Amino acid sequence: MQLTGRAGVSEFRERIRWMAFVAVVGVSLLAARMFFVQIMRGEKYRREAEENILRMISIPSTRGIVRDTRGRVIAANRPAYNVYVVPRWITRRMDQVFPKLAEYLGLSRDERDRMEARIRSIDGRRRDQYMLVRADIDRETLAILDTHKDELAGVSVIATPLRTYPFGTLAAHAIGYINEVSAEDLEAHPGEGYRAGDRIGRMGIERAWESILRGRRGWVRVDRDHRGLILSSREEIQRFGADRRQDPVPGRDLVLTLDMELMRATERAFAQRAYPSGAAAVVEVRTGRVLALYSRPALDPNEMTMGVSLPRLRELSNPRGTRPLVDRAIYEMYPPGSTFKPITAVAALNAGVIDPGEQIRCIGYITRGNRRFRCAHGHVHNQVNLESALIQSCNVYFFTAGEAATMNRIHRAALDFGLGRRTGIGINSEAGGFIPTVEWYNRVWGNFRRGYTLNTAIGQQNTRTTVLQLALAYAALANGGTLYVPQLIQRVTAPDGSTLQEFPPTVRRRIDVNEGHLALIDRALRGVVADPRGTAHLVDMPEVSLAGKTGTAQVSRTLREGEDARLAADHAWFAGFAPADNPEIAIVVLVEHGGSGGSEAAPVAAQVVRDYFTRVRPGVPIESVQRANARGQRDRARQQRARVAPHRRH
Amino acid sequence: MAIERGIREQFDWGLFVVVCVIATIGVVNLYSATSSLAGARGELYVQQIYWLALGSGVAVIVAAIDYKYYERYAYVGYVGSIFALVAVFVLGQSIRGTQRWIQIGSFQFQPSDFVKLTTAVAIAKRLSMDSHVEKWTLRDLIAPGLLLAGPVLLVLLQPDLGTAMIVALVSLTVLALAKLERRTFWILAISGIVGGFLMWSFGLKAYQKERLTSFWDPEKHKLDSAYQAVQSLIAIGSGSVFGQGFMKGTQNQRHFIPDPFTDFPLAVWAQEWGLVGVLALLGCYLFLILWALNIASTAKDRFGSAIAVACAGLFFWHVIFNVGMVASVLPVVGVTLPMFSYGGSSVLTMMIAVGLLMNVSMRRSTF
Repeated sequence: MQLTGRAGVSEFRERIRWMAFVAVVGVSLLAARMFFVQIMRGEKYRREAEENILRMISIPSTRGIVRDTRGRVIAANRPAYNVYVVPRWITRRMDQVFPKLAEYLGLSRDERDRMEARIRSIDGRRRDQYMLVRADIDRETLAILDTHKDELAGVSVIATPLRTYPFGTLAAHAIGYINEVSAEDLEAHPGEGYRAGDRIGRMGIERAWESILRGRRGWVRVDRDHRGLILSSREEIQRFGADRRQDPVPGRDLVLTLDMELMRATERAFAQRAYPSGAAAVVEVRTGRVLALYSRPALDPNEMTMGVSLPRLRELSNPRGTRPLVDRAIYEMYPPGSTFKPITAVAALNAGVIDPGEQIRCIGYITRGNRRFRCAHGHVHNQVNLESALIQSCNVYFFTAGEAATMNRIHRAALDFGLGRRTGIGINSEAGGFIPTVEWYNRVWGNFRRGYTLNTAIGQQNTRTTVLQLALAYAALANGGTLYVPQLIQRVTAPDGSTLQEFPPTVRRRIDVNEGHLALIDRALRGVVADPRGTAHLVDMPEVSLAGKTGTAQVSRTLREGEDARLAADHAWFAGFAPADNPEIAIVVLVEHGGSGGSEAAPVAAQVVRDYFTRVRPGVPIESVQRANARGQRDRARQQRARVAPHRRH
Repeated sequence: MAIERGIREQFDWGLFVVVCVIATIGVVNLYSATSSLAGARGELYVQQIYWLALGSGVAVIVAAIDYKYYERYAYVGYVGSIFALVAVFVLGQSIRGTQRWIQIGSFQFQPSDFVKLTTAVAIAKRLSMDSHVEKWTLRDLIAPGLLLAGPVLLVLLQPDLGTAMIVALVSLTVLALAKLERRTFWILAISGIVGGFLMWSFGLKAYQKERLTSFWDPEKHKLDSAYQAVQSLIAIGSGSVFGQGFMKGTQNQRHFIPDPFTDFPLAVWAQEWGLVGVLALLGCYLFLILWALNIASTAKDRFGSAIAVACAGLFFWHVIFNVGMVASVLPVVGVTLPMFSYGGSSVLTMMIAVGLLMNVSMRRSTF
């Protein structure tokens, strides 16, 4: 049945063979491409496929807890309940869900409208993400939301740890606070695992001990789908192995040397006298441990941690305001005034230019050049030796002694006692203070004048120290000449309470000073309180034998219009130690613009010391308190009989 | 009838088996591809079985009727399919900005799929009718050219670039059987190049161009036009040698492959079965194409040979474009993988082609 008139298939055959060739080549090329993608690039695409379905979720670590020396919690974490909505879910049934949410949250009409507008304005990918609508709701609101959770589709309450400071403003400068990392922080700490949203220590111990307190975040890689929704269940996540999950390492805890009871007593002493600003430091004489580090007014770390608004921050840091952010105990510098006189005495005694028993005559002033340098309040002390000059704070005696010692020797003695140099407490920016020298005056003021030495000898003019420096110097005066590095951290502990690291006291230097000279000075310092002529005799008390020195730091300030006249008043100092015969603590109190040290600062210090020995640490020092009291009375009766410097261990 | 008995003896088992294998793994793959979907879309593999069953029935009918009748009524079929294409614009539904579908009852079909065959068959008739032994000149090409131009333009208007391309390529494959005069060949070659250039410069819209070129560097376009291509590549590549296992392909299970039924089922297959599975499937297709070409070269007449070539071309170009698209060597144009992709029109068209091949194959030795 050959069809005629048509050409046969045979002439197609060559073409069909070509087609077969093309088909083989074409399909082979596809196979080669598949081989390339699946074998040569298989590893790369396998990783990408894995990244597609896994999402790394970080698990925050809990920040270490900070406790005081008796284990009272100063900084801890509590769960804060935040309310989130997923805009896409909630807008689907906005009319039903949102009014209820607003009602349960107790929003005003205005707040409600604003929040609704905010939720509706979200677009793009963020519509599927959690959006914070209310932070840190109270327990009552939490309970209400929980009860009605079935009505609140698209609303979630998520607990996140929040840093909390139970003592509030107390010791706030030393403790510091934390808040969210900034872009600059992220740049400044590369490779340390910080991420947007993390918290970072901002001040005080929270900042300085950040790496210890922080811990290490953990992570878990959970399953997700193409929209990024998480598919892994809670149970699955718990079962994940090490390749999918790493538990966070909690931060380590700190035990401080601070005693919050003593801090409270300090606060009380300032508050009762309504002093708006000032500072105090209490250190253990034989360890350098800081028991109290007080600065007033203070910030509230709870407020700072929640985040403050810009206007509030401006208010807090306004240099003409109360400046609560400034740490007056270690950052602010003041002329030490007469509290510096023991240092001048040491310089003169070391140089051998004065005989402590020798009396000189005070006529109320001495004249150098065409200037008269006077005793305070126009006092005339008549015949004074070193001891009675310290007791009565006679400037003329120390003008003479200082001049004999020379400025540079005073400078050296001050530095020996740790004044004019940073103490190394290791938190915040610490001020160095300043003790001038002849060279400094020559360089900066053009030429040196004899009067400068006189001002330095009584701690005025360009002499600058911090409250903490002075406390450590007085501790050295009290302990026989050992200068300690101030210690704020007693130990680092694991979350289970076991000690990881204990910090022993650190001696900074043994001061080159004759023990007999020191004993003489200490006796005089006791006289300042105990002797009826003493500038702080007002605060002599039966409970504790307090020794110390009053001081008044001259403030030379021209008041601006409308400023409080008080701001031109001098700062009041008291620096001392107790008990006088067997010193345990050294204390320094500064009342800004308080005026006279004897009448303003000394009562604060005395109250703190009394509280310390009678209320804060009852039992521990009682024996020495009683002994001191007994001796105090004897001393008064015997009117300053010479005592042998008894227990100098250092 | 003696002829009919003869035909039964000539049943083409090779063709039958390879088509069964492809269709079966297609259904298996669809089962996995749809397993993670809820509702009606999760049952798509069942639908596919229905389509395959219906397609087999149609294929039996197509194979049973002697193809000389097709030759006789080729132009009728051609004109009918042109009407269907026009009807798309009148009755059709617009889906995502293109008009491709006609709804008949619950059955949606895409006339442009059938046009691939009707046009090729019409051209095959034109080719086999030609009795003179001279090589073809340009004048001889006018008639097939016009036959081809109509449906291609109509499909382009929908617009459906991929299908238009397949319609053209299948018919051109048939035309490639004709011997051309040397001069004609060169004129065609040069005008093809110039025309392509002009088309690129003036005929295509910017988004079409981007779609066509983004495959060169799919990573660069990760979230827009080449998202599908990138996710498809990730699926294939992560399959490696043996694949991640049946029902375990993460790209599909987590819905990263945008269209795992019609355009990208091979990506699902490649991730779950690896290079081994891919090569097996490609082997089946190569076997099918070569088998079809063998039928063509042993057909009893020119028309039979030409329609066998048309079917081979249909499979070949679909495979090339679909696999090329899935593997990011060709642009993403919606071209299905024969008998493997989900889709009524596609499955029916392919099964008709199988029926035609069977038809020609069984009638090879009947004289």
